[in-house]
Amino acid sequence: MHGEGFPVQAVDIRKEGSDDMTIDRLSGAFLVLVGLFVAWERRVLPLGTTSHPGPGYAPLLLAILLVLFGVILFSRGKHGQLLRSVRWPEATHALAILGCCLFVTAMMETIGYRLTMLIVLGFLFGVMERIRWWLTLVLTVGLALGSFWLFDSLLRVPLPRGEWGF
Amino acid sequence: METTLQNLVLGFSTVFTPANVFYSLVGCLIGTMVGVLPGVGPLAGISMLLPTTFGLDTTSAIILLAGIYYGAMYGGSTTSILMRIPGEAASVMTCIDGYAMARKGRAGPALAIAAIGSYIAGTLSVVGLMFLAPPLARFALGFGPPEYFTLLVCGLVVLSYMTGGSIVKNLAMIVLGLAVGMIGIDQMSGYFRFSYGIVALGDGVGIVPVAVGLFGISEILATAGSPEVREVLKPKLRDLLPSSEELKASVGPIGRGTVLGFLIGIIPGSAHIISTFVAYAMERRISRHPERFGQGAIEGVAGPEAANNAASEGALVPLLALGVPTGPVPAVLLAALMVHGITPGPLFIKEQPVVFWGLIASMYIGNMVLLLLNLPLVSLFVNLLRIPYRILYPTILLFCVVGVYAVNSSMVDVAIMSVMGMLGYLLRKMDFETAPMVLGVVLAPIIEFSFRQALAMSGGAYAIFIQRPIAAAFLVIALAMILLALKPLIVKKRDWREKLTEAEK
Repeated sequence: MHGEGFPVQAVDIRKEGSDDMTIDRLSGAFLVLVGLFVAWERRVLPLGTTSHPGPGYAPLLLAILLVLFGVILFSRGKHGQLLRSVRWPEATHALAILGCCLFVTAMMETIGYRLTMLIVLGFLFGVMERIRWWLTLVLTVGLALGSFWLFDSLLRVPLPRGEWGF
Repeated sequence: METTLQNLVLGFSTVFTPANVFYSLVGCLIGTMVGVLPGVGPLAGISMLLPTTFGLDTTSAIILLAGIYYGAMYGGSTTSILMRIPGEAASVMTCIDGYAMARKGRAGPALAIAAIGSYIAGTLSVVGLMFLAPPLARFALGFGPPEYFTLLVCGLVVLSYMTGGSIVKNLAMIVLGLAVGMIGIDQMSGYFRFSYGIVALGDGVGIVPVAVGLFGISEILATAGSPEVREVLKPKLRDLLPSSEELKASVGPIGRGTVLGFLIGIIPGSAHIISTFVAYAMERRISRHPERFGQGAIEGVAGPEAANNAASEGALVPLLALGVPTGPVPAVLLAALMVHGITPGPLFIKEQPVVFWGLIASMYIGNMVLLLLNLPLVSLFVNLLRIPYRILYPTILLFCVVGVYAVNSSMVDVAIMSVMGMLGYLLRKMDFETAPMVLGVVLAPIIEFSFRQALAMSGGAYAIFIQRPIAAAFLVIALAMILLALKPLIVKKRDWREKLTEAEK
């Protein structure tokens, strides 16, 4: 009996000891860090005086408030929702979409709007969503070129053409 | 009264050009589509479509954007009634009885009452806006920096109280938004703050990339890949007209919803959402047959729908008269107005009467267009709902990129959108509301400017904020809100905010 019971108890103790981080505590810690970061980065800005506050005055007040709210959230967050109970079923899609956003940010001015969108939409429709190839082709080409025509040509909203004019 | 009518005639003469009527029509149609599609709320919709107005003159652009705004507020009811999915948060209450009516084969009358209620509420609220905004703007002309600062602080605290959820988290989001709003050139000293040598950040972080990131992109990140189970009930168009009993039963709820919605709309916070909850609760309470609610009571559709539309237009009162947005959607509208060179505030109505009264007149026309357009086109919107989300979200992503890039032709804005999208996604997971953050970003420059001016006026004495009666009154309201929010810590009873938060989830 001992041989069976001991490991179970040990597992329980480990769970209670290390896995009880709640989302409120994590958020509180994050806010404190952001507050400290703002306070640190503010040091190069003149604080001024109370009668003539400088450009660093308001950021310092906000940093103090962020730390304060972070501490309140952390100290009151013991009974909040457990971090491990948060589900991330959409994480793969979310990462892929974020990757697309970063790709657009990095490449759109270099290779142009149309080519960037052809790649991004082709990836999302064809690879992530596994839509039939002909529909992927129609949607990708139609949306990438159609939106360029609508905004750039028709509505005169300039979109990047890239180094190859595309 | 006479001046108001003269100004209204001026407004109608501005709007009644074929081009402006066309833009109103297009705005309402696009807005309804935006409201119908789950995952594209009015906020992301207006932000994404802002570039389409760049080529237009100011009045036409505002008319188009306003059409998108109230079209989106109306469009959400279609999905609520036919699919039990609120197109946007304010349509949550319509789901209950609207969908129950649809299940009983009464989808047509439910849609018709939603449209009629929205039309009446929208039109009457414009009357309220017309009579309330100018005197409020005149009153606000006497505000100095201390009054403005405390008004904004009060507005932000009320917003964090009204938004629901944890007030500490909401206040923290406001402060985070204000901190993000500090990025850029300090307008009083010319110092670059937190811009790390990126010239594009000199003008600060724009509201459009922040709003699209926090609402549009984070919504895509949170919902893409989730299984789609959609059942759309198709209404029979010949059965659209409600019976005389249904019409009679809807008169009272529409009237009450209009007054309630307009008044709640003026208060900062998720006014249009709260107003629908209050309107529904009130109708059920005063009904002789409360047991019918939830089973397809027409009053449960009429009241909240009227309140929703009235609140949307009530929110324009402080925006236009004081330059203070009461929620994220008015905040984006404010940004859109500023892109077109208009700064709402006490002087706006006096200095730009053509634009203000043109906007008022366009609302009358827009409400009429919504009523005439939406019922016959309900089949089109139903078909729109059949587009799978896996096809929809890459399209929304494309519009987000174009919308954000086009404002300043800046890739930095696209990068900000991406970062805000990721932040918004994580904040949602951590149970934070992102609306207060958007408002913080928008109000940061004004709030800091008035704060520093007030301190300079008083020679550094913080007492100026309590010595001036109007400023002190705003601070008392803010303090009362904080105390009310702390009440559940002492009294162990669920208040309406907790119920609202739960229902929104």
